[in-house]
Amino acid sequence: MEQKNQASHPPKDFVEATTEVGTPVTNAEANRTTPHDTKETTTTSETLTQLAKQNVAPFLAKYHPRQYAPFRSEDGTPSIPRAVNAGYCYRHQPDSKCSRQADEKSMRQLQQELETLPQDDQQGIAHVWSLFSAAPAKQRKLMLQGVLAQCCFPQLSFISASVRELIRIDYLTALPAELSFKILRYLDTASLCRAAQVSPRWRALADDDVVWHRMCEQHIRRKCNKCGWGLPLLDRKRLRESKREIELRATNWGNETQNQGLNPPADGAPNGTCSVVTLPKDNKRKIEDEHSCHQIKRHCVSPAYKPVADDDYYKTRYRPWKDVYRDRFEVGLNWKHRRCSVKVLRGHTDSVMCLQFEDNILMTGSYDATVKIWDMETGQELRTLRGHTAGVRCLQFDDTKLITGSLDRSIRVWNWRTGECLSKYNGHAEAVIALHFDSTLLASASVDRTVKIWNFKDKSTFILPHPEGVNAVKIDTSSRTVLTACDDGAARLWDLDTKTCIRVFNNHIGAVQQVIPLPREIELEHLGDCENDHVSTASNNGDAPVNILSPILEARSLHGQPSSFGSSFDQDEDRKEPPRYIITSGVDATIRLWETNTGRCLRTFFGHLEGIWALSADTLRIASGGMDRMVKIWDPRIPTCQETYEGHSAAVNCIGLSDSRFITGGDDYHVRIHDFRA
Amino acid sequence: MATPQITLTSSDGVDVTVERTVAERSVLIKNMLEDLGDSGEAIPIPNVNEAVLRKVIEWCEHHKNDPPTAGDEDDNRRKTSDIEEWDQKFMQVDQEMLFEIILAANYLDIKALLDVGCKTVANMIKGKSPEEIRKTFNIQNDFTPEEEDQIRRENEWAEE
Repeated sequence: MEQKNQASHPPKDFVEATTEVGTPVTNAEANRTTPHDTKETTTTSETLTQLAKQNVAPFLAKYHPRQYAPFRSEDGTPSIPRAVNAGYCYRHQPDSKCSRQADEKSMRQLQQELETLPQDDQQGIAHVWSLFSAAPAKQRKLMLQGVLAQCCFPQLSFISASVRELIRIDYLTALPAELSFKILRYLDTASLCRAAQVSPRWRALADDDVVWHRMCEQHIRRKCNKCGWGLPLLDRKRLRESKREIELRATNWGNETQNQGLNPPADGAPNGTCSVVTLPKDNKRKIEDEHSCHQIKRHCVSPAYKPVADDDYYKTRYRPWKDVYRDRFEVGLNWKHRRCSVKVLRGHTDSVMCLQFEDNILMTGSYDATVKIWDMETGQELRTLRGHTAGVRCLQFDDTKLITGSLDRSIRVWNWRTGECLSKYNGHAEAVIALHFDSTLLASASVDRTVKIWNFKDKSTFILPHPEGVNAVKIDTSSRTVLTACDDGAARLWDLDTKTCIRVFNNHIGAVQQVIPLPREIELEHLGDCENDHVSTASNNGDAPVNILSPILEARSLHGQPSSFGSSFDQDEDRKEPPRYIITSGVDATIRLWETNTGRCLRTFFGHLEGIWALSADTLRIASGGMDRMVKIWDPRIPTCQETYEGHSAAVNCIGLSDSRFITGGDDYHVRIHDFRA
Repeated sequence: MATPQITLTSSDGVDVTVERTVAERSVLIKNMLEDLGDSGEAIPIPNVNEAVLRKVIEWCEHHKNDPPTAGDEDDNRRKTSDIEEWDQKFMQVDQEMLFEIILAANYLDIKALLDVGCKTVANMIKGKSPEEIRKTFNIQNDFTPEEEDQIRRENEWAEE
């Protein structure tokens, strides 16, 4: 106020000046100053204007020398050279996307309200605003402090309420994409899908592969308790292969050139600017790449069906991960709500005893001495393999070969693509009931009370003797062990190095029909209502979720303690422990869950009324079928049966399970496919 | 025994003194001290203003005895957005401060704080309808009604 009087300017000049000052913050602000030609200029208003001029003009000139060039010479204030936007606090540069601008609507309201005031007041208020708008961050803060200091409680309350309304930040737009993705990763499926509906920018982020790749990843190894599904093998493989690519994508998101480089053009990569992101059609995505050789599963499909397979392959390779996720999500719901299609394959002329399926190929073996190959989509019979002279009891196929075991005591190896029988082995004295091969080893189980191990590589064989006939056999290559199920009521775990039995699982009443390992990835930590109470000793370390089922396995891996399976498991670094959990089924109508390192039966599943011949399991569920003609679906974590499916008019002899299907073969000669895909 | 202290200078030029072990919750500062040695000179933190810096230091103080965080892979197993009680209270700030904390945690490389910040935002999104989300963060709905309808139908599958 005590500043020396400067040469006075006509009010008009000031008004124009104010207009310019207002510009960096808001254009609307400029419009609210007094009109140029005031009809009656009172003395007060003149004084006010002059006062303001004296104070405001130098202030404005100081902080906006560029706009105020005319003032500089007049007021004599040395102008400080400043960077163009130095007046703003560091984050609120006008070019920064997170800077907050007053919106037009609220500015218009202010303007209208201002116009209701007397002329002098209008000008006075406009000056205050102009001053504030011209001030750099530090001065603004001081001004605000001064204003706040003068406020009474009702005014402070007004400020507090207004501020709460005003400080709302669109985080996903303001933050770097990488951090936005980090936020989105904490969301559940439904919230993500709602986030995608908020705005184009949110949609681009919330629909991105980065987010859904992660969502899919979380379902690789286990059943999600909330949505109840896992990823099929093919997608799991792709998931692993694309991990690095996705990480890069998260880092470089928004950078157009990078996006182009990292992803095939038709990847559906949404960019932040377009308002509607249309996902490209799958058929545009036929881009050859070196990963194709990794998609092993596709090779299972016979050459005649190659074109379809290729199409599938490309669809799978470049599908947006959100679509992959959605499909699995829907399959999970379908399982939950028993929504499935049922297909019955008729062709065998006697009981169907064994089956296996991969992708679209299903093989079934029957007491009619044949193996049939089916196209699962069409239900069409593709080929019938003849050669065995009695019922086929067991089979297994991979990309190139099919191996079958029969009541005729022989084992045959086939080229299933041509139908040619490549070789025949007579190694058992009685019917071959079960077989399993993995890499270079084949194990066959027989009524002759033996399991025979065949080594394809060195052509050697040896025998694991059993007290009675053997019904099931499963090799585990990584631990070099084999599981067997025997008529004597026991399941056994054998060490293939020492050729000795290292564990007996003895609890079934009567013959054990099936034995299978549960996938290693399965997590059964929260078997809270476990039947065996004496396991509580392991829960002693605080809040951490305690793995009550496997103290010993855990301990060994952590502290290098000796394996409970014997010293031969300690000597070889590459040798894994046997699968942690196995399940068995028997003529006593029960399924039992065992812990291999202790040999304890952890749980018995009751529900079937008669002997259980068929058993299958993955990380999500256990499926069983038996004499009572029923198929039952179980959750390994829950002792009661989840679902029961009926349909066979005679005993169910065999069952195959995948994430979206189960297939059974029965004494009614039929094969039934339950398909839970949408 | 006095714990060694270091000085940080905020973007607005204020010096803040802090225990070295506390400051080393920031991987950026830790690496800087390891690479350059503690010269006793103030370390400039050009991207963080005083208010935010003090807030971040408050968090580091409280968490100075936390065990070192496990690798990123661990996230996979527990993606739960549960936040411990103290952190929840700590994060009861306005959106601007939360925004600044997230940026600062990212810049200073304090993973656990960044996690808490991001989880807090995630929790503000969770369970809300698109319109509620827009309101929460003051977002303009730029979709045309047709687009909005189409996108809603595209995402219907997630609503069980």
